[in-house]
Amino acid sequence: MTTMYIYIWSFVLLFGLSAVGALAWAVQSGQLANFQSGATSIFDEDEPVGEITDAFPTSVKPQPAESKKT
Amino acid sequence: MNRITLIGAGILFTVIASLFGLVLIPSNQFESMQPKEFTNPDGSVVVYPTQLDSWREEPGSFVYRAMGCIYCHSQQVRPEGYGADIERGWGQRRSVPRDYVLQNPPYLGTMRTGPDLANIGVRQTSEQWHYTHLYDPQITSPGSVMPPFGFLFSTHKDVEPKSIPGIPVFKLPESYDYRPTWIVPNEQAMQLVAYLATLRQEHSLEEVK
Amino acid sequence: MSENRVDENRLIPDKSDTATRARIDHSCQGVVVFWYGSSVLWLVLGSALALIASIKLHTPGFLADAAWLTFGRVRPAHLNTMIYGWASMSGMGTLLWLMARLCKLELPWRRILVFAGLYWNMIVAAGTWQILAGNGTSIEWLEFPWMISIPLGAIFVMLIALTIHMLRNRKEKHLYVSQWYLFGATIWFPFLYLAATILIHSSAAVGVAKGTANWWFAHNVLGLWLTPIGLGSAYYFIPKVLGRPIHSYYLSIIGFWTLALFYNWAGTHHLIGGPIPAWLATVGIVGSMMMFVPVLTVAVNHHMTMVGNFHRLRSSPTLRFIVFGAMSYTIVSIQGSLTALRHVNETGHFTHYTIAHAHLGVYAFYTMIAFGSMYYVMPRLVGREWISSRLIKVHFWCCAIGITMYWIGLSWGGWLQGTWMNNPDVPFIDIVKRMVPYLWSRSIAGTLMTIGHFAFAILVWKMIRREGEWLVEPTLFSSDKESALPSETVHGEVAKS
Repeated sequence: MTTMYIYIWSFVLLFGLSAVGALAWAVQSGQLANFQSGATSIFDEDEPVGEITDAFPTSVKPQPAESKKT
Repeated sequence: MNRITLIGAGILFTVIASLFGLVLIPSNQFESMQPKEFTNPDGSVVVYPTQLDSWREEPGSFVYRAMGCIYCHSQQVRPEGYGADIERGWGQRRSVPRDYVLQNPPYLGTMRTGPDLANIGVRQTSEQWHYTHLYDPQITSPGSVMPPFGFLFSTHKDVEPKSIPGIPVFKLPESYDYRPTWIVPNEQAMQLVAYLATLRQEHSLEEVK
Repeated sequence: MSENRVDENRLIPDKSDTATRARIDHSCQGVVVFWYGSSVLWLVLGSALALIASIKLHTPGFLADAAWLTFGRVRPAHLNTMIYGWASMSGMGTLLWLMARLCKLELPWRRILVFAGLYWNMIVAAGTWQILAGNGTSIEWLEFPWMISIPLGAIFVMLIALTIHMLRNRKEKHLYVSQWYLFGATIWFPFLYLAATILIHSSAAVGVAKGTANWWFAHNVLGLWLTPIGLGSAYYFIPKVLGRPIHSYYLSIIGFWTLALFYNWAGTHHLIGGPIPAWLATVGIVGSMMMFVPVLTVAVNHHMTMVGNFHRLRSSPTLRFIVFGAMSYTIVSIQGSLTALRHVNETGHFTHYTIAHAHLGVYAFYTMIAFGSMYYVMPRLVGREWISSRLIKVHFWCCAIGITMYWIGLSWGGWLQGTWMNNPDVPFIDIVKRMVPYLWSRSIAGTLMTIGHFAFAILVWKMIRREGEWLVEPTLFSSDKESALPSETVHGEVAKS
């Protein structure tokens, strides 16, 4: 039974300390600075913030183009 | 790249931790559990849990598996006062890990569409009941939703089939069909019933609190 | 189209965003359509198996002469085709597309991935056949014989390598939260699947430890394979459709790591009251209760992102399905945490209540999100619109009403079942008889859901056959047809070119 406790406690310590260590590393190496900007990484020039990108299919048929898209 | 390694390590770490905690450490606890010897009142010694025989009992456990019995039946008695398993007569005591040391894997089950079977070998000793119930649960338990397992039997109408030594023949009640009907279990049915008879957890164990 | 190359040294999106996105979407076409199409076939088959199983539970004589259709085989066949056929293959398609989009890379190793899809289909078919033939393992969620399940897990070696390859070579510097979840999923699933298979089928785990291994696996496959794909999808599609960034990015990362930490430990709540040491049950309950943390972070995040935009549910199919799914996630998780408490578990365990809960998770949460994801992704792969708004609405309402009815019927019935079971004066057979109306309600709900699935299957079939209108949004670049389209925003105004 004592070997069991040794396993459990060493595991808890190993786990806990590495979690704390990982958090310390993250803060120190600047992973957590300027964090909210990550949320906008999924947008770009053509699908910017503010543009809805989904809708039910419309029954509007496409018209022949007057100008070609580049 | 560093970040990916770290994230990956963290991901792996969390699941390894739970593997240890929920599986490996308990398994380690159970490894030392062995069947115990009990002396009956009449002086005979029995080992519990008992190894299934390879003639019908062990193959019967495979039939239990192949028919998917676990999807409606559990095999675990909850403690007294927690639920009403013992009060219902499903066991005289709660189930403990030692009850399952010889089962690979234990058929603990998670549904009770049908009753718990951990002690069915104690509760129901009539072979006739088991075979009739398996053939068509409506005969012994009208209103049951258990599927009929007629394909585990051969059905004979009007004329009683010749009996073969070792293979039982059962006549169904007259209410079942206007024609007299007999059923003869096939090998799988006999294995299954033999297996069910082994399901008993009546020996009291000291670890049961 | 292939002339538009993104400058490889620049990590900032440049003016040819549309071209980049179109190239990426186009690169995913063959692979993702294959995985998606396969998943829909499994959805339809799984629905048929579900209906058969459901009917058998209130009408046991139904198809009772065939051994291969006995309830104990049809039920696990249903579960496995739905989890490994429908859910996993749809999830894989979404995972690959999301990774490609978020890494801003064209999908690599495409032939291997199509082959993997073929291989996966064959394994699920073989496994399902074996279950119906009576060779299932009767280990819940792991019913495929080990010779079939080991190859299933093994394909992930390739998937993990692919994921790491894409992450290392990504053009988008930032790692978006969805990528965290998807990366986690690709590592967690094979670890769980292979470890559980080995532990249960060998002597590495003893006695009831095989039971805990079973539930460590089954619960974790829900929380660390399906949930991350579902949440990763919601975290992308909700902001993407709305054009609004996620409310709090910090919260989303906290949500990820607390999910990873706590979900792992909840598995033994399936064995409360069972023949396991008390500490093991308690650990599972604690893990289950701690799940409130990640669940609330996700709920707050999604809700705050949606606030002020709920009217968009009327106009976006993707949003409808995904928001339904995301809300269901909150509900099912709160229910799950509470059901882990010993007092609640005493009544709910072993009953239909548990089945209702399971479907709230896998269907109302995961499957609805999967539908929403596919509604967004497929038009962009194939370059066409869906053929019919009405069919989409039929799909949505049949499934939404269906699962709601399912959950209410079986939760209510199951709770009564548990209450009566805990009363030793109620004969067991009476409980069985009293459950029949609730089981009928499940069959009716399931039929409704199946109708929805057929609507979806028709839509997907038509989409694969390119029978819809050309996609007219500015996100899609269509150079492989005779006339180029004018730039149009979704609201029908012609954009200034």
